[in-house]
Amino acid sequence: MASEIKISLPLYKVFYAVFFVVVLSIIRGVTYTNEIGIALEPPMAMLAAVFCADTYTQEITSNRSEIQRLYPMVKRVRSILERLAVQGIFLLLLAATGYGLFFAFQAPQAFFYQAGGAKAEIQEFLLYLAAIIVTIGFFGTLSNTLAAFFSNVWIGIGISLGIWIVSNSSIGDKYFGSWNLFSYTFRDVENGSNLCWIYGKVICICAVAVMLAVLPKILRGCRGSAGGKKEGQKDEY
Amino acid sequence: MSIKIEDLTVVFKNKVTAINHINLEIPKGILGLLGENGAGKTTLMRVLTTILEPSDGTVSFEGMSYNSGNYAEIQGKIGYLPQEIELYPSLTVQECLEYMGDLSCIPKRTCKERIQYYLERTNLLEQRKKKMKQLSGGMKRRVGLVQALLNEPEFLVIDEPTTGLDPEERIRIRNLLVEFSENRTVLFSTHVVEDLIATCNQIAVMKKGEFLYSGSIGELLEQARGHVWLCKAVDEKTARELEKNYHVSSKQYVNGSLQIRLISKMMPPMECKPCEATLEDAYIYITNFSA
Repeated sequence: MASEIKISLPLYKVFYAVFFVVVLSIIRGVTYTNEIGIALEPPMAMLAAVFCADTYTQEITSNRSEIQRLYPMVKRVRSILERLAVQGIFLLLLAATGYGLFFAFQAPQAFFYQAGGAKAEIQEFLLYLAAIIVTIGFFGTLSNTLAAFFSNVWIGIGISLGIWIVSNSSIGDKYFGSWNLFSYTFRDVENGSNLCWIYGKVICICAVAVMLAVLPKILRGCRGSAGGKKEGQKDEY
Repeated sequence: MSIKIEDLTVVFKNKVTAINHINLEIPKGILGLLGENGAGKTTLMRVLTTILEPSDGTVSFEGMSYNSGNYAEIQGKIGYLPQEIELYPSLTVQECLEYMGDLSCIPKRTCKERIQYYLERTNLLEQRKKKMKQLSGGMKRRVGLVQALLNEPEFLVIDEPTTGLDPEERIRIRNLLVEFSENRTVLFSTHVVEDLIATCNQIAVMKKGEFLYSGSIGELLEQARGHVWLCKAVDEKTARELEKNYHVSSKQYVNGSLQIRLISKMMPPMECKPCEATLEDAYIYITNFSA
């Protein structure tokens, strides 16, 4: 696991992710505390997509995938899952820190104090954490899966960005409602007891399960394609 | 016989035929693979390491056919060093090898012992705590070779393992490979002819996806015997004329005159004498005059 941490969290990635969250917490204005989650969820989703896109494709670009092919599939999948977990935990800690930074930089008003005081604030934070875990997990897995499938990190990021744009828009909210991937962002913030947004997160969890299930198939490549290209294969003869 | 290739063909989607109906038996020991750039060596190695599935033909390893049912077992017996590879830059040499050893299911203790042994044999012991990104090209190449040897494969496929190594390190690696090849099969692709002479029993020469020759080095040299000539050129102009008309394998100034070594089926119409063929001469002969 120590090696996976070093492989998946190089200094430059840590730096740009921290920079992104710090800048976001400074420039994205919020008035009430219950707006912090809304301010953080979509940007964190995009960060996760960019951050995790090279989880496997780094093996392709470095040609290590040619050696990896000789390893048992269980080990290969495990290493990818560990890398996703390492990156997910890092982003989750960053998302939690980012929540605190909004308090530090913008001192938003406590919307729930009148109703429930500090307890309601903690509850709001825990709900945010629950939502952001799923969002980070979904977009991280999505970009990695797409990048691995197309053997191209930019396609992984690009398609993820397309999905992000559609679901993080009024169109996404209108057509998918509570089943939208960003159902937490589009929830009724003034009604904390309305937890219908969980449906959207259930969709995310199901999609992650499907993507992880097809991961071995993707890693195995397109064997049997009569000389077609496999993962990382270049035009060298 | 260890590995048998029958009527193997690889045609890429862009219709390029990288390998064209080749047959070969790779025996135990080291088989040198020689050929110009784009001859199909890398494609052949990719097929043999199961990375690439051929368009046609069969490959078998110790009688076991290359098919999806046997891949897992075959892959466990193969060690591979690709031509270009960048191992984990943020890991130290030791961490990198332990990580790769773990992925190939080598027990931890055995893995550490083997790493110690092979790092010592490749003169990398002092570098074990250095990060991969801090190593020179030659050192990275040697770490790459160690990872290929780590699971003590029955079939080792190495693509230009001595690239970037100084002469002393090259000799060290060659000796290691010769020792390793006892009771094992090693496919050794290189452009460094001296490495092949020093290590190989057998050699195969590829051109445009086909084998021009496969057999012993001695037989290859025998084929070129009588076709290598040493000529003296009076000036640079004559030398250039010779280069236009013949396959020149070397030229150098000796005692003020230009001595040219060329390959020709017939004796050139000038002052020259036949000389012993080297492997380089034989390679040029076989790639240019073979039917």
